[in-house]
Amino acid sequence: MKSETLFLKNTQTFAEAMVRCGVRYHFAYPITPATEVMKHTAVILPEYGGRMVQMESELAVANALAGCACTGTLGATSTSGPGMALMQESISFMAAGELPCIMLDAMRVGPGDGDIVGAQSNYFQATRGGGHGDYRVIVLAPASGQEIVDLMPDAVKLAYTYRTPVLFVIDGVTCTMTESAIFPEAHDYAAGFDTSSWAYTGTADHEKRFLLTGSYTHSQGEEMNERLRAKFERIKEKEQRWESIQTEDAEVVLVGFGIHGRMGQDLVANMRAQGKKVGLIRPITLWPFPDKAFEQLPESLKSVLVVEMNHGQMLDDVRLAVNGRVPVHFLGKTGGDMPLCTLADMTAQINTLL
Amino acid sequence: MQELAKIYGDTLLLDKKFNYCPGCGHGVVTRLVAEAIEELGIRQRTVSVVGIGCGGFSHHYMDIDAIEAMHGRSPAVAIGYKTASPDKIVYTYQGDGDCSAIGLAELLHGANRGLPVTCFMINNNLFGMTGGQMSPATLENQVTATTPKGRDVHVHGYPLRVPEMMADMVGAKYVAREAVCDAKSIRKAAKSVRNALQCQIQGLGFSFVEFIVPCPTGLKLSVPDAYKWSREKMVEYFKPQVFKNEVGQNNEN
Amino acid sequence: MRTKCTFSGSGGQGSALLAKLVCQGAIKQGLKVVMTQTYGIEQRGGDSTGYVIVSDNFIGNPLVENDADISVALSPSIYDGCVDGAVEGGIVLVNSSLITEMREREGVKQVPISASDMAVELGSVKCANIVMLGAALAATNMLEFETVEQVLRETLGAKKPALLEMNLNALERGRTVYASAAE
Repeated sequence: MKSETLFLKNTQTFAEAMVRCGVRYHFAYPITPATEVMKHTAVILPEYGGRMVQMESELAVANALAGCACTGTLGATSTSGPGMALMQESISFMAAGELPCIMLDAMRVGPGDGDIVGAQSNYFQATRGGGHGDYRVIVLAPASGQEIVDLMPDAVKLAYTYRTPVLFVIDGVTCTMTESAIFPEAHDYAAGFDTSSWAYTGTADHEKRFLLTGSYTHSQGEEMNERLRAKFERIKEKEQRWESIQTEDAEVVLVGFGIHGRMGQDLVANMRAQGKKVGLIRPITLWPFPDKAFEQLPESLKSVLVVEMNHGQMLDDVRLAVNGRVPVHFLGKTGGDMPLCTLADMTAQINTLL
Repeated sequence: MQELAKIYGDTLLLDKKFNYCPGCGHGVVTRLVAEAIEELGIRQRTVSVVGIGCGGFSHHYMDIDAIEAMHGRSPAVAIGYKTASPDKIVYTYQGDGDCSAIGLAELLHGANRGLPVTCFMINNNLFGMTGGQMSPATLENQVTATTPKGRDVHVHGYPLRVPEMMADMVGAKYVAREAVCDAKSIRKAAKSVRNALQCQIQGLGFSFVEFIVPCPTGLKLSVPDAYKWSREKMVEYFKPQVFKNEVGQNNEN
Repeated sequence: MRTKCTFSGSGGQGSALLAKLVCQGAIKQGLKVVMTQTYGIEQRGGDSTGYVIVSDNFIGNPLVENDADISVALSPSIYDGCVDGAVEGGIVLVNSSLITEMREREGVKQVPISASDMAVELGSVKCANIVMLGAALAATNMLEFETVEQVLRETLGAKKPALLEMNLNALERGRTVYASAAE
């Protein structure tokens, strides 16, 4: 597939991007607003010699994904909150078993059945690990169709370099938005990784190996956790990603991921045009959280405003990163006909802090 | 051991010490599976997906790759594996708890999907590894750790017959229930293991074999009594039979 | 320059198509464009609104949040939403064939255009949305008129020449009628 510009719904952009970067098997179960991804892969994957496999539940989806990953092949899934909840056991399993895959949580309003309208309500679920045990998965939060495309090669490389699930979280408003994105020439990034040292492909070319996430002795459980901890530390050190805009002399810094981070770019431009010293930190990796972005806060800083499509989740991480140096305020909303804070809401709040 | 390998081939790891309890029926089924893999010449391309429970040990006695899945999810893992690697032979090895309690949805949808994978369900009619609690296969009035006065079917439902549910599924091409309670039944069971794997090798569709096995430890019976009990009580309710066999038909064509 | 648009109507009136044609035109001219789903103004099922932002630089805020520069109201049920959702100095194009009662809003210019009647004259009521598209292009500088003609040719051209003819006429009619109606 040659480089081209496509005007697509961002869920379709996600589908195109992952397939063009090497995903060949997509396991999924219909759920709004993630369903568009599987509708799209059902059409395009056969052209790449792959397949979309609709499973009977998200439990089955996540476990089929684990099975696919065991062969060394790159698989993916896409879902929304309730489906994410059902997948947590297997995400814990894949993190423990060090199985690479690509996942999308097209976030909608929770808890319970919630609502199908977009939200950022699964920040905790994504970054804390809704599953059992001491584990983390890499969480990416693109803010536009173009950023989905731009991050996908990295996502595949991260998944294989660290042998871990890589989870995209995108609010449902961004997911259902239609915009253009420039796709580079298709390239199978997964193919560049040699999986022969670990994949469970039969004993023809290696000694018997088996995937064990449990333990036959207590020391095995400890060893697994130590190995994973060391890996998570490496990721934390090397893979923090964020975008900072005009924070150097800011009096107020806005912190938002996904759509609110994107809106923050307009907000900063508008405010600066009025001579108001406002900056933006937009986390791109939610785990590892970009603590480093908060290391060099300017002397001029009076306060930080966190804006989310929830009632305060990333807020905790920002408070930990700011560590009491300045007050951290919050503006959030979830659900409703306009399920997010408008630029007008954000502007009004910032004005009270200047 | 090398002498034994000449007789038994490479699949069985004969120097590996058994973790199964003395008299456990798993030992018999594990050996039957290993012998079938050896006989069919598929060892190097076979991958076992094992469940949580005593059956999880089964792959340790075989020189094949294995995946120890989460409780009940082996059929879904096997389907994901087979989707990505259709040339491999993938079988699950699960207990009745793993297969028919927590994992029933994955099993039945796996059967209905009809992808050529094989599921072996080893039915010892209780949760063995955790100390003999009731499973879906526990008989009416049977005393277990969680049914101290016997299984009350009005509270806990009736013993669940699994292959019967698959017999009508188009995607399932070989469906059988066997017992390993005496020499005769073991010989029949050996045939079913071969047929089930053959079904997959030929790419016909899903294959399933349930094995009625005694669990002396869980039943709190001596080994001979456990075998006698299974032969009489279990086999009476869970009747061994081949429900469906499209392997033979295909061979004749 | 950035233009925020609201295209709103009832099911079958083609407001979504209207939004899509503007998007395609914008892409053709190398502009940035974002289209979002309905948030807000619908009062009943069956109504649909396409929000489109056309810009010559990166669109940070993808929302049309009661600041539409140009709105098209095709049916009565969404009329109030279009008027309230306009920015100070914005324009609302009102399908006066169906929307018979209008209300004043200071600072918002409302232009009645009998788009459905004109569409019937042109061959089918279904092209009322294209009449409005012509008017919207005349009311703003967001896209070149010729670009949208080109988009119509590409979408309808080969398969449905008769339909193309009607729609090109509708587009032109909207453009010319806007000037006189806006007086």
